[in-house]
Amino acid sequence: MSKKTKELIPPGLAYLADNIISGHNILGVPKEQQAKWSKGLDLPRKGETIFFAGCGYQYSSELESLMSLIRKMDKSVIGSETPMRLAALPKKLGIDAAGIYRKIMAKSNDADAQTLRDAVGVLKSFGINFGYLAEEEPCCGAPLYFAGLQKEFAKNAREAYETLKSRGLKRIIGIVPSCTYALRDLFPLFIDGYDIEVKHFSEVIAENISSKKLKFPEEVKVTYHDPCQLARFLGLIEEPRQILRAIEGIELVEAEWTNGEWSTCCGGGGGFEAVFPELSQVLATNRAREMTATGARIIVTQCPGCIMQLKEGLKELKNGDVKVLDLAQVLAMATEA
Amino acid sequence: MSVFKDYKKEIMDATHNDRIRVALSRAITSYRKNVDNALKRFPHTIKMAEEVREIKAKAAGDMEKLAQQACEVIEENNGKAYIAKTSQEALDIITGLVGKDKLIVKGKSMTGEEIGLREHLEEHGNEVYETDLGEFIIQKLGSRPMHILSPAIHVPREDVARLFSQIMKKDFPPESDIATLVGAARDFLREKYFQADIGMSGANVVSADTGTLFMIENEGNIRLATGAPPVHIALIGMEKLVPTLGDAFKVAEVSWRYANYTIPAYVSMVSGPSKTGDIEKVTTYGAHGPKEFHVIFMDDGRTELAKHPVLRQALYCLRCGGCLYECPVFAVTAGHFGDRYFAGVGAVWAAMVSKDMEKAASIAYTCLTCGRCKVRCPMKIDVPEMITELRKLIAESK
Repeated sequence: MSKKTKELIPPGLAYLADNIISGHNILGVPKEQQAKWSKGLDLPRKGETIFFAGCGYQYSSELESLMSLIRKMDKSVIGSETPMRLAALPKKLGIDAAGIYRKIMAKSNDADAQTLRDAVGVLKSFGINFGYLAEEEPCCGAPLYFAGLQKEFAKNAREAYETLKSRGLKRIIGIVPSCTYALRDLFPLFIDGYDIEVKHFSEVIAENISSKKLKFPEEVKVTYHDPCQLARFLGLIEEPRQILRAIEGIELVEAEWTNGEWSTCCGGGGGFEAVFPELSQVLATNRAREMTATGARIIVTQCPGCIMQLKEGLKELKNGDVKVLDLAQVLAMATEA
Repeated sequence: MSVFKDYKKEIMDATHNDRIRVALSRAITSYRKNVDNALKRFPHTIKMAEEVREIKAKAAGDMEKLAQQACEVIEENNGKAYIAKTSQEALDIITGLVGKDKLIVKGKSMTGEEIGLREHLEEHGNEVYETDLGEFIIQKLGSRPMHILSPAIHVPREDVARLFSQIMKKDFPPESDIATLVGAARDFLREKYFQADIGMSGANVVSADTGTLFMIENEGNIRLATGAPPVHIALIGMEKLVPTLGDAFKVAEVSWRYANYTIPAYVSMVSGPSKTGDIEKVTTYGAHGPKEFHVIFMDDGRTELAKHPVLRQALYCLRCGGCLYECPVFAVTAGHFGDRYFAGVGAVWAAMVSKDMEKAASIAYTCLTCGRCKVRCPMKIDVPEMITELRKLIAESK
């Protein structure tokens, strides 16, 4: 990136973009630390259909810690320009940000990415066969696209496509909404003859939903938060609802007005939380308020960003009674019972 | 990053302002209810909006031709018409017409806002009254509009009472009802219409074949401001032009309906100065309405914008303001998320019309790209697509 570019792109986004360009994932996590979540799941490293894990769920607890740190900085006196410019951050803040960051990145948290393990388990229980590329999985690069770095995105996309094709795969099951959107709708804009079929986890499950009896461990009211990219970009509005309605014990209650294509963004859209950490928290709280007004005990959604935001919103509302779960987690609970 | 830093501070101050949040949450609830009712009552509007998108998309490519045609027709109608290439040219034409020491009554105009028209006229020694209630409040507060249709959307009634107490030398307690405040503004402004030397307005849409300006309103202030004074000057962005009168009716109906009005109180159509032939069939100009009618069509970057395959969508905007009610950021910041125009379209305008790339970048990176505005937009303007494109231009600018 040129100097001028770096000046106009907010530092938060430039930081994520740099990580993707140099480290091939949004946090710049070294290769040997990737794909740890899949240990012991015994997934083949290839196949015509592969599960695409993406960054968001894998590094969700790292991202959560990082965001909480950034929010603290954003509210502090020197906050407005520094979020995510961690390496350059002076120690006068009173916190050793770079040190905390190193710790966050070095941490090995097995509770991470439960959603991914659940999704894999659920897909298998529906009899769907697939592989996982693990450390070989390329980064979709979506944050580059939304930061305006389309040349970098295009380069990354072409390399990713080559990697995917060299493994002989034909179909992808995506789970992170933005990766799925990038792989399904953005890659073809930059790659001639793109011929990989991309479906989202919820589509695949919805297609097979009648083949299995599902029962949630308790009777519960749930509401569904539509992630922007899933509902408005990918058009997957009915699928998750069809799935939730098929689970015995679950009563789906909808937010007044703000559901489906009218769903309110969690405040994390397009890397927004990295640019306006504090405002993003306000938006998360507003959305959590709309969701809890339904009287639901569980907010179900399907995006690592939304989950992080909604949890943050509930925390701000001091609401400890309502839980946020990914649809994959809900399905896993309903399959086991 | 200093523009961004200042802007971010403004955004965060707005976010912490409870008055904005309260005023907007009331406004959003009533907007959604009203527009829902309006579309249920007149369901043909949805189909008509698709037709209007085609009309606007085509007209955007023909703006220069349409402006030329409209000018010729307005001159035939005995009005005067001008094409201003830049905002400076527009201001110069207006200054030439107005002169100084004039009393001017003004209808609300975003195009006027865009080029700082009121301030310009005041600097040249004129006394200018905004007559739209919201804009009047904003003018007296020394603030800037926070919504394209409801400029004072962020000001609750208690603040209006306090303001009116100051300017009208009469006490309005904070609990004054809204009708009292509206009545006070009416009384205050009434005589100005008839004392004014000049009335100014914009237009919502203009038909090139008849040179007719459509002005949609509810308050009746535009009728008075463009009807009572002896001179009417209208400043119009060239994106408001459509080929025919029939097209203009469609644009007007779709505009007001998505602006949440089932039926607006007034739609004025003005094509020339007032005239009469009642004595010996001799056409004489200057009857009850204005004797002079001047129309300035302003380009100022619009024809350039029309050449951009993605960003040209911003020219289709009807200024109904629907998108703003659906924007989660706008709900907490109001028009601080913007420049002369707000949110997504505001970012494009800042980049392509105001040519302020730093401001444009600030707005562009405040967009969530969540896309709910697009769901609302009658023109289906793809804001996430425009914003991503704008970010690309920013990233690739050297």
